[in-house]
Parts: sequence; C-alpha cells; structure tokens
Amino acid sequence: MSVNLDLSFLHDTERGAASTKYRDEALQGVSNSVHASNFTAPAVEDFDAFQREVINYVKPAHGTTTLGFIFEHGIVIAVDSRASQGPYISSQTVKKVIEINPFLLGTMAGGAADCQFWQRNLGIQCRLHELENGKRITVRAASKLLANTLYSYKGRGLSMGTMIAGWDLNGPGLYYVDSEGTRLKGQRFSVGSGSLFAYGVLDQGYRWDLSVKEACELGRRAIYHATFRDAFSGGTVSVYHVGKNGWTKVTGDDVGELHFHYYPSEKIDEDSLGGLGKKEAEERAAAEATAMET
Amino acid sequence: MFDAREDALAGARQHANWSPYDNNGGTVLAVAGESYVICAGDTRMSSGYNILTRKFEKIDKMSGKTLMASAGFAADAVTLKKTLKARCKQYEFQNKREIGCVAFAQMLSNTLYYRRFFPYYAFNIVAGLDAEGKGAVFTYDAVGSYERTNYSCQGSGQALIMPVLDNQLKTVSPLVLPAASSATPLSEQEAIDLIKDCFATAAERDIYTGDSVELWIMNAEGVRKEEMALRAD
Amino acid sequence: MNQNGSAIIAMVGKDCVAIASDLRLGINQNQTTAVDYSKLHKIHDKLWLGLTGLIADQLTLAQKLRFKHDMYELRENRVMSPKVFASVVSTTLYEKRFQPYYTEPVVAGLDKDGKPYITSMDLIGADASADDFVVAGDNVESLFGVCESFYRKDLEPDELFNVIGNCLNAGVNRDCLSGWGGIVTLITKDGPITRTLKNRMD
Repeated sequence: MSVNLDLSFLHDTERGAASTKYRDEALQGVSNSVHASNFTAPAVEDFDAFQREVINYVKPAHGTTTLGFIFEHGIVIAVDSRASQGPYISSQTVKKVIEINPFLLGTMAGGAADCQFWQRNLGIQCRLHELENGKRITVRAASKLLANTLYSYKGRGLSMGTMIAGWDLNGPGLYYVDSEGTRLKGQRFSVGSGSLFAYGVLDQGYRWDLSVKEACELGRRAIYHATFRDAFSGGTVSVYHVGKNGWTKVTGDDVGELHFHYYPSEKIDEDSLGGLGKKEAEERAAAEATAMET
Repeated sequence: MFDAREDALAGARQHANWSPYDNNGGTVLAVAGESYVICAGDTRMSSGYNILTRKFEKIDKMSGKTLMASAGFAADAVTLKKTLKARCKQYEFQNKREIGCVAFAQMLSNTLYYRRFFPYYAFNIVAGLDAEGKGAVFTYDAVGSYERTNYSCQGSGQALIMPVLDNQLKTVSPLVLPAASSATPLSEQEAIDLIKDCFATAAERDIYTGDSVELWIMNAEGVRKEEMALRAD
Repeated sequence: MNQNGSAIIAMVGKDCVAIASDLRLGINQNQTTAVDYSKLHKIHDKLWLGLTGLIADQLTLAQKLRFKHDMYELRENRVMSPKVFASVVSTTLYEKRFQPYYTEPVVAGLDKDGKPYITSMDLIGADASADDFVVAGDNVESLFGVCESFYRKDLEPDELFNVIGNCLNAGVNRDCLSGWGGIVTLITKDGPITRTLKNRMD
C-alpha cells in the first residue's frame, strides 16, 4: 500500500515563486552564492598570511562602545560615534545604529565596512522575507539570517560584533551576533572596546521596571562614561528606544557638551600640576574654563 | 566558494617578497557648501623617496554631478575609476538618465567591498551635488565603509589637514538631536582660500604632497577648475 | 611615543614663549586613568620642560634633570639658561643611548636677556631647536598641521596664548590617546602665567 504524502509544503509559496521568477538583476546581489562569485579573491598560496598583510593597509575601525537592554517598556539601544585608525580619529560622526527597517535596529562594532555591508545585506534579506511571506520577519529569524551569513565567512577575517534589536509578535527581542559565528539571545549586552566601562554603569543602574525616560537616560549615561574612560570611544551619544510601534531616536548629544552637563564645574587637582605657586593657582582658577573659540 | 582563487592559483607561482601594493602618496580633500562642492587634490605622485611625476591628476568627473578623488596606490585608483566610469555608462543606458552622486556613492562602496579580501589600496572621496542641488561629500575607507559629511581629507596629508578643517569648519554633528543644519558656513570663495591654505600647510610638512594643487569647483552653473603651485621640493 | 598618550607644543612669541600640554594619562592604551595629569615640569621661573612618552621614564628623567639643575644652581649660584639646560637634557638622554628613556622632551624658556628659546628632542637626545614652534607626543602630525596653519611670527602674549590653546585643542581632538583638557604656561619677562584649557572630555 502506498502512502500518499502531501509534500506541497516543500515547494515555494506562491508569492515566493513569483518573487523568484521576477527577481531582477539588481536583486541577485542578495543570494549568498552570487556574493561568493562577486568577491575577488587574491591569487596567493597563503590566504591567511595575505590577509594579515592587507589588514595593515586597510586598518579597520575598532574603537566603539554600543549597548542594548530589554526592560518593561521595550528596548533601549545606545551607541557612541567615533571611528579610529590606530590612535588617529578618522571620524567623530559615524552612524553606528543601522536602521534595518522600522521595527529592527542593528548596532555596529568592529570593522566599519563589514558591518555596513552585511547589515545592509540583512536589510535586503529581511525585506525579501516580508515580500515572500506577507508578514514582518521576527527578530529571531533576522538575527539567524545574519549569523548564518557570517558563519559562512568564518575564518576569512571579517570583524563584527553586532546587536540585533527589534519588536515582533513575541514582543521585544535582543540578540548578539558576531563574526566568529556566535549568536546569543539576551536581556543586556554591551559590545566594543568601551563595553566594560559601559557594563559597569549599566548593571549598576538597571531595573526591569525602569520608565522609558529613565531607561534612555541610563543608556546615555553608560555610553557617556565609556566615552570618558575609553580612548577609542567618543563623539556623539545616540539613544534609540524600540517599542511595539517600532523604533524612535530619543536623544543625540555631543559628548563635548554632555560632559559639562553631567559635571558643570571641572576643577583640576592642585597637587598634580607640579610646582604651581598660590598666585598662579589663583590666576588659573580665575581663567578656568577658557572656552576656545575664534 | 572561492573558485576564482583556485583558478588563479593553478598557474600562479610568486616571488617570496613581492607585494601587489605600493603607496604613491598624495592628498585629496573636499568641502561641501549649501549650493557648491569643491574637490581638491595635489598633483604629485611618488614612490618611496622618488617623485614619479609632478602632473598626476587624482580627480576625475564620473558623471554630470559627481567627482571622485583618490589617493593611495595609483594603479588601483586608476583601475577603480575606469571600472566605475564603465558602470556609470551602463547605468545611463539602462535608466535613461545619469547616475546621481548619492547612488554613485553606494555603488563605489559595494565595488570596494567586493574586494574585501583583496582590497583596492585607494582612499577615496566622492564630491557632488545631490538631488536638491546641495553639496555632498562622501568619504571612504579602503574596503568600502562610507559616510556622508560636509568636508573630508584623505591620503598622506590627512592627519595634517583634518584638525585644521575641524577648527575652521566645525559644524554641528548630524547625529545630534534636535537636528541642526550641519552645512559648511563658508562662502564658495572662502572655502577655496581655506583649501589652498590647507594644501600649502600639507606641502610644508608632508614630502608626499606638493608640486601643485588642482581644485574642481562644482555648482549649479557647472564645473570649473583652478590650480595653484605648491612647494616642488 | 604612544604608551600613555601625550601632546605637547611650545611656541615662540614676541619676547615670550608658551608651552602647552594635554592632561590625559592612559594605561593599557585605551584606559583613561587620569585627566588632570600635566606633563609640564617647572625648572625655574623662566624655564619649562615638557615630557612625552612613557610616564615612568618621564618622572625618572624629570627628577634627574631637576636634581642636575638644582646642583648647578647651588654650585654656581645662578640658574641654567634654556640652551645650557637643553644640552644637559640631550647628554643625559645620550648617556643611555642603547637603553634609552622612552620619552621625547620639549624645552621652552627665556634666557637672561629675555630671548626665547625652544627645542624638542628625540628619545636619545638629538635636538631640533626652532624659531617658531616645536611639537611632541603620540600624534605629532595633527599638531604640526594646526601649528603650521595658525602660527604667526611675533605674537603678543595674549595672542600667543590664544594660538597655542587653539592648536593644542584642535590637534588633540583628532587623537584618541591625548586631550581631556589642556594646560598652558606662558613665560614672559615678568614671570610665568599658567592657565588651563577646556576641551572635549572624550
């Protein structure tokens, strides 16, 4: 007796089939196999040694502090905006939150080009998922798409530490995904060279029942303290809130001013200045905070 | 996954200490204003302590409203520009209009990233006028990370010039809320003078920058060029 | 010179000199440990020494040089001129030619005729005096860039303060490892004036 199995679920959905059929040339860039043939590989015997040499030429940006946490009223994402090449600051205005769609955010740490390219690629994949299935992608699925992509490039020298945050039918979701292939679901993450400084403030101030305002302020303060202590973080602190209606950017503050907002009078310790007389100390106090403007 | 690599390897035997890269130096700079954009670059091309030529143009017009300047490895920069020009023509035929500078900026980023594992050793700046006629500057790293800014400098004189531009042009960060205009406050002529000063400074301290500086000034009327001599030693 | 992070500028004005330093002290490259750490050392009223590089060597060298200067003062009953002091610094560094102090000094002062003198050295004492400005630290390129652009000859003391302050602030704002405020000492014939600079704290 033969069993008649219904295997139709294995076939493409109608929408899926249509989208495959009419997928135009521009969309071909989405599939991973097409990507692999687009990437030019060097004709060298020792790929790893070549990558180690090349990294000296391209010196990807490394300094960053990013954080994200889930609380009663959604998710807060906060980031700095500095990009550095060695000790040189190459930009103070990098946008480290990547707005994948109105309900999904990604953060970037590590290689700037790697993060920009693959999160844009993730945005395309998420949009196609939406078109094929007629509903928004879950945070779980989106982070898995990125993790799978990165895992397929493991060992090739990509450098990324990202968080994917969003709101779907399961409520808020926060995942940590990196270029080693790690994918973690969690409540609280901080990524980047200044992450330890941020964790200190974040863990100390975190409560589940924070109000949205308190949570945003906690995110801002944690990043500010990281920019203060970490040489490779700085610029502007951007804070995003993700709620059930999608994300909104809540604040953006230049650290140059934010520091003096938190600490209005900066006094310098007398003893450390070495050999300053009382008269000079008084003069210095009088001339304190000479703003440099021409 | 990397078929191309296998093919290339089949016949490849290489010198132990040969590098596919060289640094030809040079500085490029761009400043965007409310209704203009200026793209500038010195014209020296060197290798090590030798000057190869004093008349090497680092700036090229890629489409009607887009300029591109590159410093770094000249062979890669030239190849990159040639490839991109062909892509711009293709775009023009397919879409029956010229590529805009914002779309071009994204295309350059993708082109650079597809060489993530064998990068173009070139540091690029794209300058153009966007759809609203506002000046736009896009600044890149070697593997395609890019950002829209109001001014940028790349190449051997970057560290000398950038802090000067920061001090003279420092505008509100585009990330700050509530949003404020982050356009360069200078008039076109003021910006030209500033750029010339910057190159004079760089030529003074950087041995890879000198001979002359070419400025491409783009506004609603079109593109015009200016040139100024720099130190030749 | 990027162990602890530092930036120092010295500039010549009209019958005056100024020397400026940032205030950051970092450990393990990225960790900012102090933000009130001046790298300027007073030798006498008309002579200042700025030291960049490894903090441990800065302190050792500063103590050694102050000791040498004070012994000279006791023996000779006069203070060293900047030029003489620079020679002492240079020979002290060269004594350790093959195991150097990891620090690049800047000397700025007025001699007994009130003539300005500034010089900077590498870590084994090759000095390069200048009649306009000298810089040292982990990001000399940015400092050179701004100084070359903003410096003018024969600046009056207040103008000199303004220029050197702007240069320091603009220069360190492109450097991860220095900044967090600055300190400027202006040396005129009437004596030194020290002021602090406000700058971004990231």
